[in-house]
Amino acid sequence: MKEGKKKKPETSIGESISALGAVFVYLITGLFLAVGFWVVRDKYSVDLISDPSLTLRLLWMIEFPIVVIIFSLFRSNPKKCSYFRAVGRSIVGLISGAIINALGAVSLGAPIGLQSLPKTIHWSFLISVFTVVPATAVFGASWTNWHRVFASLKPTGNIEYMILTPAYGAIIGGWFGAWPMPLDWERPWQEWPICVCYGAIGGYVVGQIVSLSLMIFLRKHKNLKLA
Amino acid sequence: MATAMTCSRLTIFTVAGIFLQIIGLSIFVFGFFPVKPTLSGVSGSESYRDPFCDSSPNSNESELHSDKLRLHYQELSGISVKYDRVILMVIDGLPAEFVLGKDGQPPRKVWKESMPYTQSLLANRDAIGYHAKAAPPTVTMPRLKAMVSGAIGGFLDVAFNFNTQAFLEDNLLGQFFRIGWKMVMLGDETWLKLFPGLFMRHDGVSSFFVKDTVQVDRNVSRHLPDELNSDDWNFLILHYLGLDHVGHTGGRNSPLMAAKLKEMDDIVRTMHLRAMMDRNHDQGQTLLVVVSDHGMTDNGNHGGSSYEETDSLMLFIGLSNNGSDYGAAINNVAFQVDLAPTLALLFGVPIPKNNVGVVVPGTLNSLRDYEQLRALELNSWQLLRLMQAQIPSSLFEGFSCNCFVDGICKGLDISECSGEKEKQLICLFRNAALLHHIWKSKKLTESSRAMEDFSRALDAYNAFLKTASEWLASKTTEKPVFLLGLGLSAMLLSCIVCATLFLSLFKEVYHEPKDRVCSLSYRLNLEEVLIFALLLILVISMGSSSMVEEEHYIWHFMVSTFHLLLLFKTAKLFDLSKGRNILGDYKVVSIFLLLISGRLLRGWHQGGVNWTYLPDISKWLEQVGSGYVKWIQLISNIIVIGLGLFTLSRTGSKKKSVCVLALGFLTCGLLVLLHAGRYQDEMLEVSTEFGATVIVKVIYLLLFISAIGAALVLPWSMLNKDKSFLAEAGDYLYLIGSAYILCWCLLHLLLQQPINSGPIILLLIQILAISCLSSNDVQVNEWVEIAALYYMGMAGHFALGNSNTLATIDVAGAFIGISSHSTILSGILMFMITYASPMLFLLSLVMYVGAKLRNQSQYSTISTHRETSLGQILKLKLGFPCLVPLCINSVLLTAYTVVLLLMRNHLFVWSVFSPKYLYVCATTLCTYIGVCIVAVTVTYTFFVTTFRRSNRTTRHDNS
Repeated sequence: MKEGKKKKPETSIGESISALGAVFVYLITGLFLAVGFWVVRDKYSVDLISDPSLTLRLLWMIEFPIVVIIFSLFRSNPKKCSYFRAVGRSIVGLISGAIINALGAVSLGAPIGLQSLPKTIHWSFLISVFTVVPATAVFGASWTNWHRVFASLKPTGNIEYMILTPAYGAIIGGWFGAWPMPLDWERPWQEWPICVCYGAIGGYVVGQIVSLSLMIFLRKHKNLKLA
Repeated sequence: MATAMTCSRLTIFTVAGIFLQIIGLSIFVFGFFPVKPTLSGVSGSESYRDPFCDSSPNSNESELHSDKLRLHYQELSGISVKYDRVILMVIDGLPAEFVLGKDGQPPRKVWKESMPYTQSLLANRDAIGYHAKAAPPTVTMPRLKAMVSGAIGGFLDVAFNFNTQAFLEDNLLGQFFRIGWKMVMLGDETWLKLFPGLFMRHDGVSSFFVKDTVQVDRNVSRHLPDELNSDDWNFLILHYLGLDHVGHTGGRNSPLMAAKLKEMDDIVRTMHLRAMMDRNHDQGQTLLVVVSDHGMTDNGNHGGSSYEETDSLMLFIGLSNNGSDYGAAINNVAFQVDLAPTLALLFGVPIPKNNVGVVVPGTLNSLRDYEQLRALELNSWQLLRLMQAQIPSSLFEGFSCNCFVDGICKGLDISECSGEKEKQLICLFRNAALLHHIWKSKKLTESSRAMEDFSRALDAYNAFLKTASEWLASKTTEKPVFLLGLGLSAMLLSCIVCATLFLSLFKEVYHEPKDRVCSLSYRLNLEEVLIFALLLILVISMGSSSMVEEEHYIWHFMVSTFHLLLLFKTAKLFDLSKGRNILGDYKVVSIFLLLISGRLLRGWHQGGVNWTYLPDISKWLEQVGSGYVKWIQLISNIIVIGLGLFTLSRTGSKKKSVCVLALGFLTCGLLVLLHAGRYQDEMLEVSTEFGATVIVKVIYLLLFISAIGAALVLPWSMLNKDKSFLAEAGDYLYLIGSAYILCWCLLHLLLQQPINSGPIILLLIQILAISCLSSNDVQVNEWVEIAALYYMGMAGHFALGNSNTLATIDVAGAFIGISSHSTILSGILMFMITYASPMLFLLSLVMYVGAKLRNQSQYSTISTHRETSLGQILKLKLGFPCLVPLCINSVLLTAYTVVLLLMRNHLFVWSVFSPKYLYVCATTLCTYIGVCIVAVTVTYTFFVTTFRRSNRTTRHDNS
């Protein structure tokens, strides 16, 4: 932690975003999540309970492009890094994030087996879209930024709040979402990864709201300080 | 802080807290679990009279000769006795499903074909079978007591299952003895211990050699021809243990099961043909009753309350039973306690006093109408007597002696019964008695409506008996409130004492300069929050029966989360720009080891109740073939030996004592390997050979000597002049601790089932990884690490296949290496097997303390500790390793006591919550023992080291 403090953030912050812009971004991502659910239900007439792996696949495939398109706009260091490079590296981020998420889920007890393998894969892709993809689009492979935002929890600027809080929200929501699984209520949604997925989406939304309120609160705070 | 705790005060308070807890716990346990029956004494001729009549016992009755007493009873009862002798064949552990099938379906083909004669009896209506539901706990002794006395025993009978003692309650055998019956018992010697001196001839076999499935039954059957030829007995008890042993070793689908069922079937055939068909009618008739004391799960275990375990058999052969078809012969449901009143009424003895059972309806069909009603009346009177002891007499106001006969009872009309349970019961009884009286009075005059009246009376009696029996059975759970409150408050107090001690130590260790802990500004770390959260979640989840059943999910989930948090913390400290340092890599590697082994442990046994059918590693390994299990056992044995030698060599000292320790350890390891290779694969045969027992005993002795010897001798043996006091003590403790855990692991490679050798090695790896982490300074507080060790121990407890039902206790292992029956020894072994993992982690605390000391003396300045007294050092080093487990345990124990009190009327109180409470109590015991060992070892080492140092300095000064 001490070493982290000594390093000064060496980034020239890219496109900044206002709280209103953040609301707009969240609305779009939320809209596309809803579109994903709509497509799944109306075009394929399945849902998360009847066919989790197909649903999750469609969800992340619809959500991923919009997240990449939006967050690549706010890439740090935009002069050195072109827009398409940001898009490219977020694809790498998607895959590696999925691997990390899958490993985390398995270590917490997700079933390993051929039957649950596709579910786990698509679930981890979706969580990766929520957590890792925005960060890769913005930071790239800059370890210091990642470390500062995710490990030391010291985000600067609105865009970093927009990366940090929904990502942690999704992870913590997913963690809490796993709690009903061992109960003997005999509901179909208690299966892996349905309730974890609900928890993650819920946590993601809560994280977005928290980040918005943080932005507004901090700006007021800053104004007060200045005054 | 005004007063910093001194070491001695801390110790005194801790010990006082523990004693308070023990006292509170024992008070609570004896208050909560009923142990005493409700009525004392023995039923006599008064049981044939109306319970409202003056029932002073007939004084000269006890002086009557047994034959006269029998005639006296017969005269009073008014039921003709058709049978003059009975054979009770107890097949231990036979589920009724094997004979009668399940849900109206006939039994599976393999079982049906194994018992052709019994099935033909059922098909020809010569036999009638019942699914006799047994009450938990489904272990032999309480079930036998229930069958002969009709009373549902206390839950604590389980604890006394291995310590049988004479049964003093009123029971069938005593009643038969009183009327002069001659009884013969062949089989399980539990009967002899329960009923000493009642049997004319007996041959007891021991239920002790669980792996013996053949000889144990041969020893029973060898007497059978003689007994069937002789005509001098009235009651023959045969108790076959083999089937239970087959279940324990191989489960329901064991290849030996079919042969065993066939053997049982042959015995039934022999008895039916020889004892019943061959006899002349003037010799009287014989009734053959085949019962089982309990069922078994798919794995062959029992003790819990699942359908598989409570589904025991009750089969009557020789009742002249007409009119029922095969379907009716197999689809009946009864309770196990119903056997007592049924046999009592059929053989003309009074029903035992505390019986809560109801006469089995199908057995009365051969009696005449008035006899049937009389039998039901006698049964009702007996239950009513039992109820009178529990219902205030004001409710019985309307009744007086023989008032139904005289027609002077109040409220002489049949009414719908509703309202309070007690009033409803009395109302039901009144209806039944009235209808009985109406039938009796009309029988003499008109015969046209007699049939209708008869069946109405019959139905009314059955309604009363059923309700009363259920009510009485539920009443056995009455609790003395005062005792419970006293016990609970003592436990609460001790919990507060523990928590206060912990907090004061906490303040002293972490905030010596500033007193910050009380202020809100003190922020807990994430790991600390997790430790508290786990405690809180456990306490909350204990309130739901399904979470108690699936408790292992919480442990595994939270422990994995803790490991992930450690990973997060390491990543936080990890700085790429500084380059990859070895330290960081070690940490990451050990955390990954923790995560991987934790996941494997979780997947090893699919524990719990609801999801046991899901695939897991142990099932997969057993499917693939026993060869793989063998390999895993071999490999883990070698790994334990290798890791042990590596750990011992890592201390760097090549002193003689360490070499001796290593040698002893190596010998033990090789002996365990030898035992595994030579004896353990003969699962299905008698492996109680002399050689195996001797080897096991030698291993026990060697392990004991190495562990105790290491603890006693090591601090004396070596002296390193260069090292500081703390470093030296740390070295000793590290060595002693590793000797402890390695010996414990080897012991469990021997004791546990072969499939569990995998988890044992994984647990050892986890311990080593944690000790590697803590010696690499992972910046987690000491108490958090200790709490995490405790939690990992509990997670490992479930990974070894344990659960919160009594069925998963490994009984077979508890007899390894014991050559004669000893309750205490096998009890200790069973405890050690069940609590292998928590104990392992508690023992590892010695090693942990040692590692911490060595580590500290490397980094910190030594001079600061020179002035501090031994007591102060002991307090700082030993305080947390002792207090943290005690605190966690006392919180869990107290919380669970409260939960149990709140749940005392829950449907699952006996099947889910009470077994869990027994486990919690045993965990408490385990924690006490572990903490005690840690405290004694560390204190001893410190004292010896100080003593030798001071000796050396004085010698140095002198010279």
